[in-house]
Amino acid sequence: MTKWLSVLGFIAVAANAEPVLVSGGEYTPAILLDESVQTLVMADFKLDATPVTYAQYLEYVKANPKWQRANAAAIFHDGNYLISWPGNTEIPEGYAKRAVTEVSWFAARAYCSAKGGRLPTLDEWEYASSQYLQQQQLSDQDYAQMLFGRHSNPTAYSQQPLDVNSKALAHMHNRVNEWVEDFQLMLTSGDNNDILSSSCGDSARFMADFGDASYATFFRYQSRSNYRAQSTTSTLGFRCAYDME
Amino acid sequence: MKPLMIAIAAASLVFGSAMAQDHSHHHNHKNHTTLGAAQVSQEDSIYHLEGEWQTHKGDTIQLAELQGQPVLVSMIYGSCTTACPVLVNDARRVYQALPEAYRKHVKLLMVSFDQDRDTPAALAEYANKYGLGENVWLFLHGQDDNIRALATLLGVRYRKRADGDFDHSNLVTVLDTKGRIVQRTEGLNRPVDEAVAALMKVIDDNHLMHH
Repeated sequence: MTKWLSVLGFIAVAANAEPVLVSGGEYTPAILLDESVQTLVMADFKLDATPVTYAQYLEYVKANPKWQRANAAAIFHDGNYLISWPGNTEIPEGYAKRAVTEVSWFAARAYCSAKGGRLPTLDEWEYASSQYLQQQQLSDQDYAQMLFGRHSNPTAYSQQPLDVNSKALAHMHNRVNEWVEDFQLMLTSGDNNDILSSSCGDSARFMADFGDASYATFFRYQSRSNYRAQSTTSTLGFRCAYDME
Repeated sequence: MKPLMIAIAAASLVFGSAMAQDHSHHHNHKNHTTLGAAQVSQEDSIYHLEGEWQTHKGDTIQLAELQGQPVLVSMIYGSCTTACPVLVNDARRVYQALPEAYRKHVKLLMVSFDQDRDTPAALAEYANKYGLGENVWLFLHGQDDNIRALATLLGVRYRKRADGDFDHSNLVTVLDTKGRIVQRTEGLNRPVDEAVAALMKVIDDNHLMHH
């Protein structure tokens, strides 16, 4: 009996919440990375409802020792990978339901791959974000305030627990920034200008409009352009995407 | 104070050059955009990257199998008619500028961005076109996720365009025997001296000529 209970217990822990279907459709990005492409046609895909938590990541590194802190190859991170973990298979106290951070792009990709998924592309993430905003019926101003609020005080937001069993997209803007597969492509065609390396006046012309929401979104794009694939900051997590079967 | 200022100046020089972009085609590119190269880590081997690749001869390999010799690597795609033939030729120019005795110790690695079109057979045709004999070139076909990871480690930025072609950085990189990045040349048709010197140093430091 005890044996069966422990098996059931294991299954309950290991079962991941079902990812959420993001229905495809036409989409106009708030930031135009290619001035000749205004509207994107997105296919259906699935996305985790929430960012990956410490508890989920702990389970993963227990099963994949080469991604434990002491074992991760130096080429795949900047030296601060999981730096605040007390041990290789031990998360900081009280962190189980928080979004995991201090993970590099390489680590995030490896995690998603092990789960049968991948990182979302930048377009997929932003498209899901735009759908999420509509579902939440957040005004542009509320969205902008939330985003800037988190950026000015990331710790306060990150301490609130996540519900990994959420049935709908959650916490896209109020916990952490999230890795995307092609984060390094902050460039507009024909100009050779990174958003980061051109002046503010230059970059603003790649915004589709100049409302509060677009400025807030632009801020997220700018954050991305600061990352390297080895970055392991305390404000950057991830969630996984999945192709349709 | 003075050493600190120098350090800052040096750091900004390094940073500046790493972020510098090739504007040589700014006014005459038609559809192709050159992406500036990204910064890279030179401390550790890129051969930590797992995953299988198909060679132009149809073999399946992992990058770690290239250990033990210096490698000159670039990323291209076969249907590219602008920058890529120049990059392949740049690699050939480096090879031909090496003293004869050094040449057989160097591998020229060309990795395709194009999972869909650059099949091993298509790459074999490409390799034949550039001559140099049986064992000098190694053209690799891989899966998108491995291509993205390798490009990221090399600091090669690329994106697939709606028309199926690719915008990408133009970069030729020297790897040492362990797969660490030791030298990079950004741009097209650049002088080859630095790459040649880096390859010769790897060969000398590892006493490869005496084996």
